[in-house]
Amino acid sequence: MKVGVVVQRYGAAINGGAELHARYIAEHLAKHGEVEVLTTCATDYVTWRNELKPGVEQVNGVAVRRFKVNHARDPRVFGRRSTRVFTERHSLADELGWLDAEGPTSRALVSHIAKHAASYDYLLFFSYRYYHAYHGARAAGGRAILVPTAERDPSIGLSIFGPVFRGVRALMYNSPEERAMIQAVSGNDAVPGVVVGVGSDVPQNPQPHRFRQKHGIRGPFAVYVGRIDENKGCKELFDYFQGYLRDTGGKLMLVLIGHSLLDVPQHPRIRHLGFLDDTDKCDAIAAAELLIMPSYFESLSMVALEAWGLGRPVLANGRCDVLKGQCIRSNAGLYYDTYPEFVETLSSLERHRWLAGTLGRNGRSFFREHYDWSVVERKYLEMFDRLKRDTAPRTIEPLPGWFDRRRRDLPPAADVLAKIPAGPATSSQAAGTRA
Amino acid sequence: MPEFSFRSDSVNVEQIMDQLRARISEKRGVDYTEQQIRELAQVKLEKFLDPKGVRSDLFDQFKRAQVPYQAPELPNYAFEAETLYESHRGPLRFIRRLLHPILKLFFNPNPIIQALHIQAQLNTLAIQREAAREASRRPLDQLYYEVIHNLVIEATRLGIEVKNLKMRVESLGGRVEFNERRARALESAVVYAPDSHEPVEPVAPPTPAPSLPPMREREPQPYRPEQGQPAPAPAAGVAGGVAGAVPGAESPGQRSRRRRRRRGRRGGASATSLMGGQPAGGPGAGGAGGADGVSEPVSGPVDAASTSPSADEHLDQYDEPAAGGPDDGGSDEPDSQ
Repeated sequence: MKVGVVVQRYGAAINGGAELHARYIAEHLAKHGEVEVLTTCATDYVTWRNELKPGVEQVNGVAVRRFKVNHARDPRVFGRRSTRVFTERHSLADELGWLDAEGPTSRALVSHIAKHAASYDYLLFFSYRYYHAYHGARAAGGRAILVPTAERDPSIGLSIFGPVFRGVRALMYNSPEERAMIQAVSGNDAVPGVVVGVGSDVPQNPQPHRFRQKHGIRGPFAVYVGRIDENKGCKELFDYFQGYLRDTGGKLMLVLIGHSLLDVPQHPRIRHLGFLDDTDKCDAIAAAELLIMPSYFESLSMVALEAWGLGRPVLANGRCDVLKGQCIRSNAGLYYDTYPEFVETLSSLERHRWLAGTLGRNGRSFFREHYDWSVVERKYLEMFDRLKRDTAPRTIEPLPGWFDRRRRDLPPAADVLAKIPAGPATSSQAAGTRA
Repeated sequence: MPEFSFRSDSVNVEQIMDQLRARISEKRGVDYTEQQIRELAQVKLEKFLDPKGVRSDLFDQFKRAQVPYQAPELPNYAFEAETLYESHRGPLRFIRRLLHPILKLFFNPNPIIQALHIQAQLNTLAIQREAAREASRRPLDQLYYEVIHNLVIEATRLGIEVKNLKMRVESLGGRVEFNERRARALESAVVYAPDSHEPVEPVAPPTPAPSLPPMREREPQPYRPEQGQPAPAPAAGVAGGVAGAVPGAESPGQRSRRRRRRRGRRGGASATSLMGGQPAGGPGAGGAGGADGVSEPVSGPVDAASTSPSADEHLDQYDEPAAGGPDDGGSDEPDSQ
């Protein structure tokens, strides 16, 4: 069996959510067959500049074939086109222009897929919203399997993606919420799909004492791991946490791990440790009382899964359907929508250790049951087997003609998004049936 | 508000969240949504509540700002069927009338005539309505002013009242807290006098009997509500200090405790047994409250906070041992805090 993994960036040092997801999947599928990664020479997800050499190299034992990006992203053009397609009536050509402006536009990659698709059994395309996935899936024909990594943002409402969701051979979803959203927007119920997510290499023997000694941290603390960014809800987290300290006299400290794009408040109970390697990160989570995930948009929070894998409860932003759904399904985390809820949930986890302990234990069971690597690998292999048996041809609808593409009759993507049902998936949706 | 009622490992996150939300609603009175909170935050009430912001010449300013409306003098046509062809010149009027059928060959002027006729009527109606509105606006403005003025005054008054009430609540809270602390201190140091008809059994080491008030009925015993075992006599300084500091005077706590003792005697149980302490027989006469203390229901005046663990304490018993941490782990788990 030969599987191609197509992703926008790839590398041992690239830690973006979807990219890391793709790397983990590639490395684990490599145990069961031949895997080749097809990607670009870019490392920066904002500019998509060519920074790595084109050609083939090995990354952690997996062959990686890189292709040049045709042009870097122009933020002004991309911003203007985003405004048009997200907020105004527009045409299909506008959406294709937006996709080209978003990048990473690599015609060489798409051309390679078109020429060599037959040499792969399946091609796994990561992140539906990028150029490589849209054009690559069309070029791959009936071998394309999409790992959408979709979040609840306006790009899901763009019309160009509907035919892709309906036309690929299968979809590997990250969460029931993601599946419900994509099925609602594209009506692709007939396409084989399974909620898989991704595993994580959680150490069996983390060393919380080592972390505390190394960073001089005493006392109980809550930890946030990820990019410290307003888009990730960190500003709100800072406001809420300072309010919690002020209003309740809570004893927790907030420890932040990750690169910061935002000013971290100067407060004796808020510590920013910068980027840490995986060992330190896991030690930190193991040493923490809980993990806080303030993000509004997540397709699948790997760090939340890691916290559960390490037996720690999670306090998530309830406005993120995926995180809220995971907390409810796993019974391993609480969530907040407002400041009073944040304070109340955080205080409860701080005061009642039996509650935190029980949630943590539930999280560990949830992780083992659904996100252990053996489970994830099995789901992928079962899907390949199923597709091998199911030989029904499936093709992506062709693009309409020149005039039709320029007809400005498409609604703003934000309006489409607003009409998609929100909220955590119901139990029937989580089980894989339509509610 | 009760704490969580979950006592096992099978917690339900949705149920917990419902309970937390209920508690938040109880604390806050009204459960505002995030949207409502934002809207409320945007209203700058302070601006109105500031009495300095209310100008005495508000009405004059109000009138000055509202320049009376002068309707523009626009010509209005009385548009009739013949208006299009009218002229003060007789021959011209004749020629127009003569060519009228020819004109109608090119277009139909009747709809235009009808539309303009209706428009002329509408213009007249609009002018009349505007005049009537302007006439009624003045007294309405005066009413609005009065309403706003009264609102400002009331809001200011309410603001002051709220501040006063806040201060009063703070003051009362402080006094309650002080009384609680005082009651606790007295409870920990209170000494019971021996019954006049009961033999006095000295407790070693003998407490230097301070000048006890005459109502003391039992021999000096430290009162320890949580303990059923005999306890050593209190430090002389503490007992003597408390009792001696206020000879003859007694705190509300002492009074209520004496009432409890009397009620206990009437009900057949000793005061100490009612309060979870030792029976009247002195040290060694019984365990946790003795037989009477067990059979007698503890109710009424007995301070619930001192006899039963609070909800938080009840929950804390489910906390795992410090070495285990919140996890089922072993040596790798974090320190208990």
